[in-house]
Amino acid sequence: MADLEIINLHASIGDKEILKGVNLEVNKGEVHALMGPNGSGKSTLSSVIMGHPDYEVTEGDIRYMGESVLEMDPEERAVAGMFLCFQYPVAIPGVSISSFLKKAMDARHPEGKAPAAPFLKEMRENMAYLEMDPAFANRGLNEGFSGGEKKRMEILQMMMYKPGMAIMDETDSGLDIDALRIVSKGVNKLKGPDLGLLIITHYERILTYIHPDHLHILMDGRVVMSGGPELVKQLEDKGYDWVRDQAAATV
Amino acid sequence: MPTLLLDPATEPAILAGFDEAVLETARQGENALLQAKRTAAFEACSLIPNPEFFHEEYRRMDPALFRFGNFKRLDTLPESAQELREGDDAYDAVISVNEKGYAILKKPDIEGFQLCSLAEAAAADPDSLEQLLGTAVVPDQQRKFFELNSAFWNVGFFIQAAKGVTLEKGILIRYELEEAGSALLPRLVLQAESMASFSIDERYTSPDGVETLCLSTHELHLEAAADVRLVSLQDWGSDGIHLGEDWSRVKRDGKVSLFNMTLGGKTSKCTTGCDVCEENANAYLGGVFFADGKQHFDQKTLQFHSAPNTYSNMLYKGAVKDHGYSVYQGIIQALKNCVGVDAYQTNNNMVLDSTARADSLPGLIIDADELACSHGATMGNLDEEQLYYLRSRGIPEGEARRMLLLGFFDEVIDRIPFEALQDRLHAVIAEKFES
Repeated sequence: MADLEIINLHASIGDKEILKGVNLEVNKGEVHALMGPNGSGKSTLSSVIMGHPDYEVTEGDIRYMGESVLEMDPEERAVAGMFLCFQYPVAIPGVSISSFLKKAMDARHPEGKAPAAPFLKEMRENMAYLEMDPAFANRGLNEGFSGGEKKRMEILQMMMYKPGMAIMDETDSGLDIDALRIVSKGVNKLKGPDLGLLIITHYERILTYIHPDHLHILMDGRVVMSGGPELVKQLEDKGYDWVRDQAAATV
Repeated sequence: MPTLLLDPATEPAILAGFDEAVLETARQGENALLQAKRTAAFEACSLIPNPEFFHEEYRRMDPALFRFGNFKRLDTLPESAQELREGDDAYDAVISVNEKGYAILKKPDIEGFQLCSLAEAAAADPDSLEQLLGTAVVPDQQRKFFELNSAFWNVGFFIQAAKGVTLEKGILIRYELEEAGSALLPRLVLQAESMASFSIDERYTSPDGVETLCLSTHELHLEAAADVRLVSLQDWGSDGIHLGEDWSRVKRDGKVSLFNMTLGGKTSKCTTGCDVCEENANAYLGGVFFADGKQHFDQKTLQFHSAPNTYSNMLYKGAVKDHGYSVYQGIIQALKNCVGVDAYQTNNNMVLDSTARADSLPGLIIDADELACSHGATMGNLDEEQLYYLRSRGIPEGEARRMLLLGFFDEVIDRIPFEALQDRLHAVIAEKFES
């Protein structure tokens, strides 16, 4: 039994079925990459795992640490240890980063209140590690942030919450090399036996910074191919058409 | 329906409870300047037709809701003995007003700073005061309630800061009504001479279930490079009725910040106008309002640019829920030849329930070329994607909604220079949101 199990997952938005039976297993300590062409359902999968209210699961299950999460609210999934690194984090003017992070840490604290001093210290240290200006802590969440700053903000949260399972939804898209390096630095610091990582990406580029143990290819709402790191190179050389042909041949 | 309009020439527009006999009572024992001003204001008021539901300005706020017939003007308030309270030490000066009287509980011993009743100011230097009474009003405005207050005010204060005088902690003024049927008409006149700087924290309170009327005016005169911040919080109980008309005039390099916070009470109608009348004068108008239950709030702003290269920035943020109803209407006006004006007018509304209503009517009157004016209004509910984002971080839904609403208002509240007032605003907004 894997720590995160996605079993024959079917999900729809409105009348449109997007996921058509996804099977995937990720354990803590492992790094998985999920790739696929545009429209294959990658972002839908991350939204469904985290419990976005717009999507409906019509069949199958998602289990984290042996328990189905389908009936859990997004906040319950988060507190249980799941984390989604958003592709497009929203800006929330008026809610400062420090007060937002404090509330999120409070929610994880057994007594409902994270002590302020250690929290502030940890926040400052993590911000420094990610080369973020400490003045950001008083700014509105993602307000006026560049793409790279938003992604650093996501990684900062991951460092604070210390999730057991993180899904990174196209974290590399729209990042310049510098930002990508810093984001990867943060992720690599977190890698270890207590964290499972599912990196959803459109490009191979991030995988040269964060090395996956496993690669899966999603097409038309299903995982059609899985393999080791060597698959990255094959995909790069031969493209998705080759995957499509291979998948067709095995059916 | 123009035939229904009163003909002011033949039929003076007197509001119930504010007639000549009451005017005589108000004038009794006053000095000549104040008496003359009351009489002139009464005459001016009588020439302005009474507000009617079919007038454009009152189409969204029936003046019958002001219920003038239910109230009696309190006799001009005497000085009374009151005591300082916990928290008062956060201010340089404290004024306290209730039905029994007023007390200036504390004032700073700073040369050049004056805080007294209007009667004292009139007795001390009638000529200077005369220059200030009624002269901050932007011309050609419908100012029925301003004139009414000028004729019938029953408690008045004068604040004057001489050149360069600065108050670190600011002035607290509390108005507290407790008895049903009381009509309080406070008048505040202030003058900040060049480079003077101070803030005023003003609170209006009453118990729930007690019907009270307050008709207040503020006149602010800012000389060169003066900087004045006035925050008024209507924190009335469930049956408070509030009418307000505030005018300020800002000279070269001066800056006025006017915060109108409408949270309590049953019915409120406020007009806030500023004339930035010399180069580089600047006005900030901040508004926070939240109508729930059956509350009905109406706010009007006027950013009047009578000189070139002047600035104004208005941001009113409101929420409505249950059967609450809010109205915002406002104008930016730039006179001919006022080039280089930079003016913004923004009204954002959160409509939290489909039974609630918010109307927004921003507008521009521009007679000059080469200036930058922008106005805009938004209507919406809490953003679902923002809500999902907060929840995906572990924050429970109720808490996430509260954070988003407070964050929405904080764009204005963060600019308020009083921490205790910010805390009170957060508490009241959260309470209304959760009720």
